[in-house]
Amino acid sequence: MARIIAVTGKGGTGKTATSALLIRHLAKGDKVVLAVDADPDTNLPETLGCEVSKTIGDIKEFMHSERDNLPPDSNKESVLKSKLYEIIEEMPKYDLLVMGRPEGAGCYCYVNNLLRGIMDKLVDNYDILIIDAEAGLEHFSRRIFRKVDDLIVVTDGSRRGLRTAERIRELVDEMETDVSNIYVIANKVTETNHEIISSTAKELGLELIGMIPVDEMLISKDLAGEPLFELPDNSAAVREVEKITAKLGL
Amino acid sequence: MADEFPFEISPMFEGERIRKEGMHVELAGPKSKGFELVRAADMNDVEDGRFTLIGPDLQDMEEGSRYPFAMIYKIAGELVETDLESIVERRNHEFQNYIQGMMHLNQRDDVWIRVGKEAVSKGLNSFEHIAKAVMMLFKNELPFIEKVEAIYITDMDEIEKEIENTREVYKARDERTRGLHDEDVDTFYGCTLCASFAPTNVCVVTPDRISLCGAINWFDGRAAAKVDPEGPQFAIPKGELLDAESGEYSGVNEFAKKLSSGEYDRIKLHSFMEYPHTSCGCFEVVGFYIPEVDGIGWVDRDFAGTAPNGLQFSTMAGQTGGGKQVVGFLGVGVNYFRSPKFIQADGGWNRVVWMPKMLKDKVFQDMPEDIREKIATEDDAKDIDSLRNFLKEKNHPILERWVEEEVEEEVEEAPAKTQAASQAGSATPQMMQMPANFMPSMPMMGSGSGGVRIILKNAKVTVDKITILKEE
Repeated sequence: MARIIAVTGKGGTGKTATSALLIRHLAKGDKVVLAVDADPDTNLPETLGCEVSKTIGDIKEFMHSERDNLPPDSNKESVLKSKLYEIIEEMPKYDLLVMGRPEGAGCYCYVNNLLRGIMDKLVDNYDILIIDAEAGLEHFSRRIFRKVDDLIVVTDGSRRGLRTAERIRELVDEMETDVSNIYVIANKVTETNHEIISSTAKELGLELIGMIPVDEMLISKDLAGEPLFELPDNSAAVREVEKITAKLGL
Repeated sequence: MADEFPFEISPMFEGERIRKEGMHVELAGPKSKGFELVRAADMNDVEDGRFTLIGPDLQDMEEGSRYPFAMIYKIAGELVETDLESIVERRNHEFQNYIQGMMHLNQRDDVWIRVGKEAVSKGLNSFEHIAKAVMMLFKNELPFIEKVEAIYITDMDEIEKEIENTREVYKARDERTRGLHDEDVDTFYGCTLCASFAPTNVCVVTPDRISLCGAINWFDGRAAAKVDPEGPQFAIPKGELLDAESGEYSGVNEFAKKLSSGEYDRIKLHSFMEYPHTSCGCFEVVGFYIPEVDGIGWVDRDFAGTAPNGLQFSTMAGQTGGGKQVVGFLGVGVNYFRSPKFIQADGGWNRVVWMPKMLKDKVFQDMPEDIREKIATEDDAKDIDSLRNFLKEKNHPILERWVEEEVEEEVEEAPAKTQAASQAGSATPQMMQMPANFMPSMPMMGSGSGGVRIILKNAKVTVDKITILKEE
């Protein structure tokens, strides 16, 4: 059974960077990883340094528009599975899957139902999933992934950021998807806000498993639009993520 | 028996994905060519267990390479017939996936296969192993196959030579499949994917009736019900045929009662006016009765304008959806327009008077030729008056239904115009005001916005006397 880790948080907090660094760490080990970009504002591929041409959104659209043109007795599950395998980007040590655009008009119940079954089986081929998810957790409420082992909320140093983490925890309670653990990673931490963040997290009852410091190397890569995958091992952010993975037992 | 193979064979390996890094060779697939084909043959033409390979074998293929790949199986047996070919062919997918270290995706000329490094290192070095394993499974699992032989091709020229013939076989097969009708099967399929927001919906999928959402045809229902009979798609034994014209079956009626929790006990599959199919909320197209012309109009989800009855898709969808049986409105999937039984209880295409141009274009080739130019679109008619004129001008078959009312129609001309002008507001009251003689087969507008509906469940009612008075 694959361990499913979803990374979420408000836009701009650095959840994609955090996901990328987790994947960077895991790709060095011997586990097989599936990276999933579940944020419609797709930028995990770029952060990882790979190109993705097609998304799950595209293949759902394909199934929708082509369904009357397929041979009438074709097995649509098998067609959809093949299309899905076609869009998986196969990188050394990890695979990447992009959820992409939201559904168009019309009914996607059937396609989503097929997709759930296919994803269930696909997930079993991996040791770990890292899902870069938007804060609304839409793909979880649609149950494309049936469970989440660890939900990591990335927040910036502000009280508002931590409040978001609290709201996400409430959202999780309402979802049908099982979420076993919820953790918080504070990002862009400075010496001045370090203390406040820990005390606020404690006050809100959030389990803080890491504080990623402001990292000049990361900032300059981000500015240049270069993949964070190439950050050197001595980058402050990389070192903190290593510590986090140890805490998570990865 | 499986000991003779250098790999394990088990359904357990079915979901196995072979990644690029773990792959020895990729066969066919999106970046190459290939196909799989099963042909029924005479007993004398099949040499049982024989394997022929045209092109290089696995051991000659370099690690990480890609080759075209075709698999042809010739089967024979007393019970083997052409109609079984596609069913047997589908099993190739399953059986190859049973082989540890093999991944088979898709079907027909879209097949995509990978053989894993690990399997090769354990001794899988010839396609003969694979072919022999699949042939063994064919004979074990499908006992009507008495003889089977396999021909695999890994040579591009040979595949290109064969692929056109193969596509002809697929095409002929598809034509036969499209010729399958409600009367040819004894099982229909139900679907409850919409049950969460349309709890009384009874979605019945038959060879001549696609699901309302347009996504599930009879074959999809069959495939899903076979894998998981308790899942969202399941079998409905069709039972006794009660009325062929409207498509009423005792089995469907029983399921209607069960699925709607007693709300509906009759559903006629190909009827618009009487006991129509329920409408979920997912339907692609909604049909609406236009009493003024005694015809039926259709509007699809993509049409943002207003139908001649003054309503938009969204309004009618709201009124019709939710799993209700609504006389006067009907949700369908686009493919239902291609059904030979398309609302046949109500006159089929001869009853259709209006549809948006985009939708009409989509199904144009499937419409009976003589009606094609007689059905109005938004370019021809935007309201009832212009629709009526268009139908008259084109001599639409619906005119035959008007004959007996022609005399009264003259008298009603004036009020009808006023209504047409005021239709932009709401069409429902307008329908209720329509002269009764314009609604020859409308028993009652059950749309929820007029009349009274009383449902009694498990009730015992004793009444001495009931008086019903006409409202003054």
